[in-house]
Amino acid sequence: MLTWLDQRTGLVTFTKGFLTEDVPGGASYWYAFGSATVFALILQIVTGIFLTFYYSPSAATAWESTKYIMDKVPAGHFVMSLHYWGASAMIAFMAMHLIQTLLWGAYKKPRELQWIVGVILFILTLVLGLTGYLLPWDLNALLASKVAISIAGSAPLIGGPTLAFLQDGASIGTLTINRFFGIHVWLTPAILTVLVALHLMIFRWNGPAGPPIDAPPKLKPGRFWPDQMYMDTVVSFAMFAVIVLLSFVSPAPLDDKADPNNTAFVPYPAWYFMALFALLNIVGGVQNPTLLEFLDLVATIIVPGGLVLLLILLPFVDRNPSRRLSRRPWVLGLTAATMFGALGLSVLGQVNVQKQQVLNGVAGPAAAAASTAEAPAGGAPSAANLAAGKPVYAANCAGCHGAAGAGQPGVFPPLANNPYVTGDPKALIHTLNYGLNGAIKVGSASYTGMMPAWKGNLTPQQIADVATFIRASWGNKAGAVTAADVAAVAK
Amino acid sequence: MGHAEAYKDEGTPAEQSRRTFMVNATLALGGVIGLGIAIPVVTSLVPSPDALGSNWSPLTPEELDQLKKATDKPIKVTFAVKTKDGYLPEASSDEFVWAIKTDEATFKQKRPELFEAAGKLPYPAVNMGFVVFSPICPHLGCRYAYSDELKKFACPCHGSQFTDFGAHTAGPAQRGLDPLPLRDQSGTAQITWIQYVQNISDHIVLSYST
Repeated sequence: MLTWLDQRTGLVTFTKGFLTEDVPGGASYWYAFGSATVFALILQIVTGIFLTFYYSPSAATAWESTKYIMDKVPAGHFVMSLHYWGASAMIAFMAMHLIQTLLWGAYKKPRELQWIVGVILFILTLVLGLTGYLLPWDLNALLASKVAISIAGSAPLIGGPTLAFLQDGASIGTLTINRFFGIHVWLTPAILTVLVALHLMIFRWNGPAGPPIDAPPKLKPGRFWPDQMYMDTVVSFAMFAVIVLLSFVSPAPLDDKADPNNTAFVPYPAWYFMALFALLNIVGGVQNPTLLEFLDLVATIIVPGGLVLLLILLPFVDRNPSRRLSRRPWVLGLTAATMFGALGLSVLGQVNVQKQQVLNGVAGPAAAAASTAEAPAGGAPSAANLAAGKPVYAANCAGCHGAAGAGQPGVFPPLANNPYVTGDPKALIHTLNYGLNGAIKVGSASYTGMMPAWKGNLTPQQIADVATFIRASWGNKAGAVTAADVAAVAK
Repeated sequence: MGHAEAYKDEGTPAEQSRRTFMVNATLALGGVIGLGIAIPVVTSLVPSPDALGSNWSPLTPEELDQLKKATDKPIKVTFAVKTKDGYLPEASSDEFVWAIKTDEATFKQKRPELFEAAGKLPYPAVNMGFVVFSPICPHLGCRYAYSDELKKFACPCHGSQFTDFGAHTAGPAQRGLDPLPLRDQSGTAQITWIQYVQNISDHIVLSYST
């Protein structure tokens, strides 16, 4: 059977030659970073294809179809989460692969072109992450992409055409979603796949570089199949297990639908762009306008562009043939400095996002994701409602129910984790409007305090705001209450 | 692998010139095919003028009343704009701008750069006794909000801040807020919704105003 096939196609001979290729110096777990990245790419392609069966790119349907995938499609949210975490895994493993190649000096002659193709693959993967970020068309997608597009548009010389290509119009809209969809689903993966094949072909031509020593490796030789393939599979399997675990523990989030008029939402970049985001915040501290203009350019264009250029030129700049760690203090020092710099900036960026969220009175993305996941009645409370309800609560309610909604034993019931508060909003509104007299029970405890009637003292809007606030604070996750709801509840 | 031998035969001068012709013809035909695909494909990527258009939006009497309430403290004016987003059906969407009551002399003093040759706007900034600001942060395009605590406009994305008159005071933005054209057309106030190039120090109009 195989002979029949081989005589007509040569496939068996080709596969045998491919699989039994020697791995000079023997198989090693150190070679598994690249193959794990390839596995992540395959995972992204497979899950991505399934997502396109439901996703519909337009301003009227992008968010809705994403929500549909999450809520209605069997295992849809799981597949989407695999794609979401797979993206992070692909970038993380690619970064490790790149750093390892840097540290080991594997970019040196004769592997210059293999290295350059690898750097281009890294950029294309970041483009995939960036374009994929817009597609769900939620608040974060809109604002984070708006920032990315504006940065591209402010680049010298190529800024104008790049903006026209990415945005297609005067502002981000339905045509932008289509552009990003085309780039994310067809253009980049097509180029990426061809370049991965090229990267691997050059790799097979040169063979693995081996550990950073100048002497030829003394390890026993091994074969690609099954020695190296076994190790690659073990690493890929471990990566897949982590992706599955994360998909269950922390599924892909979806914020409220994109709304250009929302000024309270604080966008947060993906973790792999956090360092660049923080750089912008630092630059913002400068007062001198000319210096600021220059530093903005540095933070958005010169630093990322310069790093890429440096990586591409590295094999030609660092021509010292030795790969021993002790002989390459400059490259190793710069690599370490860049890594620690990026890490420090990322932490700073995260702190800045959280500070801004506190300033705007918005809960973090995790809370937003949780509230949409539960699909509360009356819609998820907006940040503006919550911000409006907080002072009303502090002025009128906190005296008895406590600043943290804990109440007082025997007298005033807690509001946190109280089914009466998070249940039917009509009953809650009635209590807020007209008060309560006599003992009530919450859980097994009984409370005897009196609840005053607030109608007349607070406007329906204030009552709605405070109801929304207590229904969404201290771990409560119930939907918003509107002034119309409040007015509709009669005595 | 018998046919590999053919390459070792240099052939007669006539054969050589026949091969040269075929090589050149193949390259030429391939080039024509490539251009024939590339030109229409790249052309299709140029945004259509419709996608860049912007119109004068009339304010309803209620919307105008919001504007008239503007004092020296900025006020948010919400109004309905008829928009056509690509191929989607034309829809009326709520937009908002920030307005402040001021006069030419005061505004000129607060925002001198808008009146100098380099940063001059293609339309008057102060109209009907108001200045209307685009709600889009001139840094990277997020929507800023007015902070009553700071008495300033503040952007949630990267922390740029602006005074009531839109002058830049903090954060990475490179210019102050962009005033929008406002006009009185036979008793009806109209605002044009236009976009500017982000993250540069000059006010450069991106969408056409008609």
